[in-house]
Amino acid sequence: MADTTQLKYATLNEIDAIHATLRQSFRAGKLRSIAARKVQILQLAYLIQDNHDRFKEAFAADLGRPALETALLELDATIGDCKIAYDGVEKWARTEKAPFSLNFFPMRPVIRKEPKGVVLSISPFNYPVWLALGPMIGAIAAGNCFVLKPSELSPAVSGLIAELVPKYLDPDVVRIVLGAVPETTRLLELPWAHILYTGSGRVAKIVCAAAAKTLTPVSTELGGKSPVVIDPKCDLQTAAKRIMWGKCVNAGQTCVAPDYILVPEDAQDKVVQALKATHDEFYPTGPSTAGVFGRIVNHAHFRRLKGLLDRSAGEIAFGGETNENDKYISPTIVKNVKGDDSLMSEELFGPILPIVPVKNVDEAIAFINDRDNPLTLYVFSQDAAFKAKVFDNTLSGSAVANDTLVHCAVDGLPFGGIGPSGSGYHTRKYTFDLFTHLRSSLDSPAWVDAIFGSRFPPYTAKKESFLKSLLGVKLPPRPRQLANGTDQVGKGN
Amino acid sequence: MSDILTYTPVEEIPKIRDDLRATFRTGVTRSLEWRKRQLYQLARMAQNEAEAVCDAMTRDFGKPRFEVIVAELSAVIRVALKSAEKLEEWARPELPDVPDSQKNWKPTIYKVPKGTALIISPWNFPVTLTLQPLVGAIAAGCCAVLKPSENVPHFSELLAKLVSQYLDTSAYRVVNGAVPEITKVLELQWDHIFYTGNGRVARIVTTAAAKHLTPCSLELGGKSPVVVDAAYDMELAAKRILWGKCNNAGQICVAPDYILVPRQKQDELVRGFEKAYRTFFPNGALDDADYGGIVNDFHFKRLSTMLDRSQGEKVGGAFEGRRDPARRRLEPVIVKGVDGNDSLLEEEIFGPLLPIVVVDSLDDAIDFINARPHPLVLYAFTEDPNVKERLINETQSGSIVFNDTFQHLAVAELPFSGIGESGYGYQFLRYTFEAFTHLRSSVDIPKSEESRLSLRYPPHKPEAYQVLGSALNIRIPE
Repeated sequence: MADTTQLKYATLNEIDAIHATLRQSFRAGKLRSIAARKVQILQLAYLIQDNHDRFKEAFAADLGRPALETALLELDATIGDCKIAYDGVEKWARTEKAPFSLNFFPMRPVIRKEPKGVVLSISPFNYPVWLALGPMIGAIAAGNCFVLKPSELSPAVSGLIAELVPKYLDPDVVRIVLGAVPETTRLLELPWAHILYTGSGRVAKIVCAAAAKTLTPVSTELGGKSPVVIDPKCDLQTAAKRIMWGKCVNAGQTCVAPDYILVPEDAQDKVVQALKATHDEFYPTGPSTAGVFGRIVNHAHFRRLKGLLDRSAGEIAFGGETNENDKYISPTIVKNVKGDDSLMSEELFGPILPIVPVKNVDEAIAFINDRDNPLTLYVFSQDAAFKAKVFDNTLSGSAVANDTLVHCAVDGLPFGGIGPSGSGYHTRKYTFDLFTHLRSSLDSPAWVDAIFGSRFPPYTAKKESFLKSLLGVKLPPRPRQLANGTDQVGKGN
Repeated sequence: MSDILTYTPVEEIPKIRDDLRATFRTGVTRSLEWRKRQLYQLARMAQNEAEAVCDAMTRDFGKPRFEVIVAELSAVIRVALKSAEKLEEWARPELPDVPDSQKNWKPTIYKVPKGTALIISPWNFPVTLTLQPLVGAIAAGCCAVLKPSENVPHFSELLAKLVSQYLDTSAYRVVNGAVPEITKVLELQWDHIFYTGNGRVARIVTTAAAKHLTPCSLELGGKSPVVVDAAYDMELAAKRILWGKCNNAGQICVAPDYILVPRQKQDELVRGFEKAYRTFFPNGALDDADYGGIVNDFHFKRLSTMLDRSQGEKVGGAFEGRRDPARRRLEPVIVKGVDGNDSLLEEEIFGPLLPIVVVDSLDDAIDFINARPHPLVLYAFTEDPNVKERLINETQSGSIVFNDTFQHLAVAELPFSGIGESGYGYQFLRYTFEAFTHLRSSVDIPKSEESRLSLRYPPHKPEAYQVLGSALNIRIPE
C-alpha cells in the first residue's frame, strides 16, 4: 500500500478556489434536476462497491478494524443509504401543499424544498466512511454542492476517499479538502449555506464561533458519556452480550458507545460475570488476535486512555492489557468506580467500561441528570415501569432500551444530540431535511381582494369587525385554576 | 434606565434562569393539559388586555390600533388556540415505517422539550414577535425567558406585568433592560435561543451561544425585492405593494423594500401608487390615525438622511413627503430611477421609502437580486409561468410570494424563515413547536431478536459476512 500517512493537504488558495467554483456551479443549477442528483448518488454507491477491498485495507491500516465491522457498519450501511436516497429523492424533493385553510386556499400556499447552496461537512476519524459519505448523500439529494473535510487522523481512508471521489463524482459539485488545523480554519472563515460538524464539543465551539461571523447555520453531532442503566431483574445474559458488542465495536471509538454502567451495588458482580462470559465467547483466542478486535486510532489517544485507566481508583475486574506499539487496549471492565474517578471525567471513546454502583434507580437518574445530556441513554430492563421512569426523568439525544448502537440503523429515526451532545438531526431523509431550505410560496389572484379588500386603509370600524369575524376565534371556557393550584388566573373573573 | 421601563437587576438574571431550570426539572411542563392551560391564558391575556396593549403601542410609536388588533393580537390568539388544539397531534410520539426486520424494535420518535429557552424580540411587531415564539415554547413544554425590546418601553413594561398575572411565573418570566442586561442574559447557558432582529446583533447572539453550543433560530431581515412584470396589472400591483409598504410605516421585516420594474412601465406603476395612496389616505398620511410613526429619533434621522442622500427622483404629486420630527412622522415617499449604488439600496430601509430601480430584462432583475444577500422574501407580480419558473429556480430567498405582499405570514401553516443573511430556523404553528422540541429517537429490542442479531457478534463466521455485508452485492441501478 502506498504511503498513506503523507496526505497532500489543500493550499489556502485552492480552498478559496474550490469555494468559488462550487458557488458558481450552484448558481448555474448543476444539481437542480432530480436526475442529476440521482446520477451522483448512484456513482457514490458504485465508488464503494467497486473498491470495497481497498476500503477494508484502509480501515485495517487506520483503525485495525475487523473486516465484518467495516462491511456492516460502514460500507454496507452507506451503500444502503445511497439506495434509500436514490429511491426517495423524488418524493422528498416534491413541493408540499400547505394544510388546507378556508381563508387562504385561493392563494395556493405551498412549501418548496430547495437546496441551501454550497455546504460544508467536517467528519471524524472513527467512522470515516459512514460519517463522511452519509452527509454527502443527503446534501446531494437535496441539490446542494458539497465540500467534505475528512479527518486527517484516519489518513488511509480519507486519502482513499480523496482519490476516488473525483473519479466517480462531478468535481464541479463535490470536492474533498484534505487538511488539518490551518486548512480547517480557512474553510471556517468562508460563508457556507450550512455546516455539519461531527466530532468533539471542544472543536464544535470553535466551529460555531467562526460560523457566527458569517451567520452560517451549524449542526453538530457530538458525543459525551452515554450511560447504561441496568435493571438487576433484566435478562442479564442478553444484556451483557449487547453491551459488550456496543463497547467492543471499533474498540469503543463510537459516539454512541455505551460509556459507563449504573447498577445497584449488590448486582455489580453478577453484571461483571455476565460481561466476562460474553467477552470469552467473542474472543476465544483472545482480543489481541489479529483481525478480531479494533485498535486505538493513534498514539495520543492510546496514551490518553491508558492515563485514564492508570489514574482510576476503581478495580479492574478483567482486561487491562495494553500494548503501545500496537495501539492495543483490551476490553476492560473496571468496578466500584465513583463519580469523581478519572474514568468519569470525560467521554472514554475506548474499550474501557466503568461500572458505577448506585443504591437504586433514583440515584442512577440523579447521577445522569447531574451531568451533561448524553447522546444516547441506554436502559436494560423488561419492566415497562422501570424503563418509563428512567426515560421520563432524564433528557438525552436518543433513548434506547435493551440494545446498543442499532438505533443509528433504523431508517426513519432521526439521529441527533441535545445540549452538549449536539443539535440537528441526520441519517437518510433527516440529512436531506438538514440541507434543505423550506421556501414558502403563495400566488395571490386578483379576485381575493373582493374579500380581503378590508385590509386596505382607510381603516374603518366596519372593516375591523369584518376581518375579526373572518379571522377571529372563540375561546374555550375560562380556566379556573393554574397548574400550580393558585386561583389567580388574571383579570376578567 | 427609562422612567417607563423597569430594568431587571443584572444580579437577578442568573437566578431567574436557575429558577426556570428547576421548574423544568420538576417535570410540570410535561403535562399537555398544563401546557394547554398556559396557552389559553395567553390567548385570554391578548383578548382581555387588547385596549391596554393598543394604548401602549400608541404611546410607544403611534402604531395604528387597527394594525395592532388585526395583525398582532388576533394572530396571537388564533395561533395560541390552534396550537392548543393541535398539541396532542404534534406531541404524539411518531412511529416511523421501518423494514420488516426492524418492526419488532419498537422504533419511536418522542417529542421532548429542549428545556429552558430564551426569546429575544424586536420593537416593530412586539406582540407577535414575542408571543408567537412563546406559544411554540409553551406548546413544546419548555420554560422561557422573554427579553422584549427597550425601544418599546410602554409595551415591554406592560408585558412584564401581564405575564406575571396571566402565566405561571415559575415557568415564564420577562427580563427587561438594555445592553448590560442582555449581555448578562447571553453569558448564561440556554437550551435554545430564538432571536428576531438584525444581522449585526445576530452575530453577537450566535457568538455567545457558540460558547455553550446553544442552538439558535434567527429571524432577520434584509432588502426584500419586488419584481414587477410588464404584463401585470400595474394598478393592482401598486395597491398591494403600497399597502405592504405603509403597514407599520414600512417597519416590518417582510416589507417590500425596493422595486425592479421594466423601464417602460415605471411611470404607469407610479401612477398606480398615486391612485392607491389617495384612496388609502385621502388627506395624506401625516396626521392619519391609520398610518404609524417611526419608532424613535435615531431611526427617524436614519431614514431622513437616507432619503436626503438619494440621487433618485422623488415622485411628487399626491406624495408630499411631509415630515414631522417632533412626532416622528414620515409620509411615504416613492423614489424613481434609483441606481444600484444609491443610499436607498445600502441597507434594509425599514421605513416608508420606496425606491424603484428600472431594469431592461428579467435577466437584469435576477442578476441584481443575486448580487445581493439572500432576502427574507422575494415578491413578484406576474402571471407568466416562465417568469415565475425562472425566479424560483434562479434566485434564493426565505419565501417567494407571487402577486401580493406579506400574505404568506397570514398562512400560519407555511414555515417562515430566512436563508443566508436573512436568518435560519423556521416558525409558525407546528414549526415553532418543532424549534423548541428535541426529537428523541428510541428502540427497544426484545430478546427474541437475538437469533437474527447474533451474526454480528465475534467470532465472525463467513455466513455473517454474507448476510450482514449483503449490501455490497445489492443490485444498483445502471
